[in-house]
Amino acid sequence: MRRPPLVVVFVGLVVIALGETAGALMSQLRPQIAGYARARVAANPQAHGLAGSAEYDAEVTARAVYAAEAGLSFFHTHAQGLGPLVIFAGTVAASTVRWRLARGAVAALLGLGALFPLGYLAYSIAVLERGRDAGIEMAERYVLTPLGSAAIVGLVALAVLMVAGRGRDRDA
Amino acid sequence: MTPPLPDVWRRPPLPTLVAAILLIACAEVGGASMAKFKLELARGARAVMLSRPAVHGLVGVRDADEQIIDEALVKFDAGLRLFHLHAEGMGLVIIATTMTAATLVRSVGARRAIILLLTVGGAAYPFGYLLWSALIPYYGIQTGKAVAEWVVWIPFGGATIVAAWWLVVLVGASLVRRA
Repeated sequence: MRRPPLVVVFVGLVVIALGETAGALMSQLRPQIAGYARARVAANPQAHGLAGSAEYDAEVTARAVYAAEAGLSFFHTHAQGLGPLVIFAGTVAASTVRWRLARGAVAALLGLGALFPLGYLAYSIAVLERGRDAGIEMAERYVLTPLGSAAIVGLVALAVLMVAGRGRDRDA
Repeated sequence: MTPPLPDVWRRPPLPTLVAAILLIACAEVGGASMAKFKLELARGARAVMLSRPAVHGLVGVRDADEQIIDEALVKFDAGLRLFHLHAEGMGLVIIATTMTAATLVRSVGARRAIILLLTVGGAAYPFGYLLWSALIPYYGIQTGKAVAEWVVWIPFGGATIVAAWWLVVLVGASLVRRA
């Protein structure tokens, strides 16, 4: 099997390493992370719609902190999954797609798609800084959807190119 | 002048591949067993907890005790699920990273060390979740977690993290040299 371009392997490895490190940090620093998240919510009262009522504000804060922690958890799990996936899919592309330009395009899309888990880091930060709903929408629109789409388009293109290559082999 | 990096993947050592495949198989068996024996596992854990009331802070008041037992059972179940999830993921991570190390790391010593750390660390780390689950009924949530942390997660997870970043640095250096 041929290996994908070095840069794709590098991106895949960085994402795996970040995912592993994030998992360890989340486990060791959970109280500190929750404390920081609560402080950021308190520092952005308008974005979170805090009303000055202790009971209501506590509920809103808890929901925002939960969403931020979920974002970190999604970052960890997606990074562990997508890193190897990009290396393996890149290997399939390098080994089976015969058109150089198409191979490069698939590798570029997969490399970009490998960064998708970073969208969940943006998600966590945006939730705390912009409010829960606005932050989630922002991360989804500007980071998660474009990067996730790159990964999906890359995988679909790879499948199409493999089928097309096979058809050409049969015709020949 | 250093020779160019190989364009074809080199296979990681066989024991590494066997460890990764066995880990994935354990994850699959773990997932299937969790589904099949969910009730039995919960009943068993509950029985052990009831036999050790002091460990779990059970006071003999049904309402209060049920809440404590439920919380412990949720964590017991979470440990099993996390084992399943991490073992499946780490199996693939071991294959991808050791294949990269076998192909792209030029120094024999560094290559061997990285592959060893990724294999041992990656294969052992998920079992920390299994250990945590097993310890919860006997020693409680926090004590079980502390033991799993010091015996498995920190040494083996740490080994994997060190090896992963070491590999990132070496591949990054190759990328820079090429550029």
